[in-house]
Amino acid sequence: MACMWYPIGFTVAANPSSAVVKMNEDGTATLLTGTVETGQGSLTILAQITAQELGIATDDVHVVSADTDTTPMDTGAIASRTTYVTGNAARLAAEKVKLMMFDVAAPMLGVKAHQLEAKDHRIQVKGYPQRSVHIADVANHARVVTGEPPIGSASFNPATVALDPETGQGKPFGTYVYATQIAEVDVDDETGDVDVIRIVASHDCGTAINPMLVEGQVEGGISMGVGFALQEEILFDSAGRQINPNLTNYIMPTSLDMPEVEVDIVDNYDPTGPFGAKGVGEPTLVPTAAAILNAIHNAVGVRITSLPATAEKVFAAIKAKRGQHVPPPPLGGPDEHRLPNPSPAT
Amino acid sequence: MVNVSIKVNGEMRTASVPPETTLLRLLRDNFNLTGAKLGCDVGDCGACTVIVDGLPVNSCLMLANQVDGREVLTIEGLATTDKLHPLQKKFEEFGSLQCGFCGPGIIMSAKALLDENPAPTVMQIRDALGGNLCRCTGYAKMIEAIQAVANGSIEPVASKSA
Repeated sequence: MACMWYPIGFTVAANPSSAVVKMNEDGTATLLTGTVETGQGSLTILAQITAQELGIATDDVHVVSADTDTTPMDTGAIASRTTYVTGNAARLAAEKVKLMMFDVAAPMLGVKAHQLEAKDHRIQVKGYPQRSVHIADVANHARVVTGEPPIGSASFNPATVALDPETGQGKPFGTYVYATQIAEVDVDDETGDVDVIRIVASHDCGTAINPMLVEGQVEGGISMGVGFALQEEILFDSAGRQINPNLTNYIMPTSLDMPEVEVDIVDNYDPTGPFGAKGVGEPTLVPTAAAILNAIHNAVGVRITSLPATAEKVFAAIKAKRGQHVPPPPLGGPDEHRLPNPSPAT
Repeated sequence: MVNVSIKVNGEMRTASVPPETTLLRLLRDNFNLTGAKLGCDVGDCGACTVIVDGLPVNSCLMLANQVDGREVLTIEGLATTDKLHPLQKKFEEFGSLQCGFCGPGIIMSAKALLDENPAPTVMQIRDALGGNLCRCTGYAKMIEAIQAVANGSIEPVASKSA
């Protein structure tokens, strides 16, 4: 088992994200964001956040991203910050658009703007959903009657508190996430080979805006953690050239190496995040190797102190614990020079 | 130069290429079928997987000339203009892909498996994907999607939310 916390939204330097939201006259919205989608699903998350704020469907949000001609510059799809920082910017921009539409819809419905809410593609009176007007009609009314098309922009920069030079105290991050992972391993004490059978991963990411994407991030992070724990290692020769520069001998987990993964999303809400969300990307990888190495210790009583915990290292540690001499792990070739590793057994 | 005639996704195609041309280069450069990806180019990653006469192959390791007169199915041959292949549909539904680079190869490996064994176990699915590397997903949602296509239901083995 291993536990961790991980910071989201650094404040050591300016860390802004910006967004522009525009309500269209057909009831759809357009979101401009500088962030990059690399498969993690962040544009889906940003569309969901924008849609939730405007009371429309996720499919009705057109996301324009990562285009320096049209979108605001973004600090980056890095540091597990997109849901929290860019998500806050998108929500704030959408909120501005919503409030502009409330001002337009209030006289249409004969109420004050603060009595309105945006829901199910309509601007409606709180508590009286039958008194409502379609959001497309509000957007069109704003354009052709009041002359104030609903367009909003906003930026979010996590609040900074300077670190005290004397004590080092301050507020270095916007918020924090927490996780525990538990690994079940099968260690062959005659070969040192470790098989990870199962990992249970319990993650706090604030509100899980899209649980399926959270699961995908956790499962992917765990696969990287399994490789980090047991397989992946860059090896150099004495001249500093990498001797395993391709996937033939830099070994990463295949579908056959992956354990059964059980994802537990902890129910939580962070008041500083968009709809309570924080983040989930990098944290998923943090506790995996530690959990696996603790499980190896639990199984055969040896502490492996350098990664990856190859069969050779685990076998040598088991033999050392039993007081038997084994020769050091064989080297891969005459040129090979492993990076200095501490003794695997303690 | 060698002359190669192959049936690609049901259509006869011919090309005259240098003898060292791989099937992958033929598909991508001559036939403009860029679904099969050039990843490692040495048969480790499986991103170039296509189906030749019913068997999944690393198209980077096969010469174009070896495929002369044979039948090749690529990812482009799965969907029609109005309908995704069931594997593609389930991969979309389950969020099985993230960056997606491995996707065409994974789906072709899965198709070859299901064509041969319509009701595979989880272990057989893992085995069939053993030559396709994925750095993003941990494979779990791919395995679930393939199970869903095979059974119309899911064994709770690959991954689940507690």
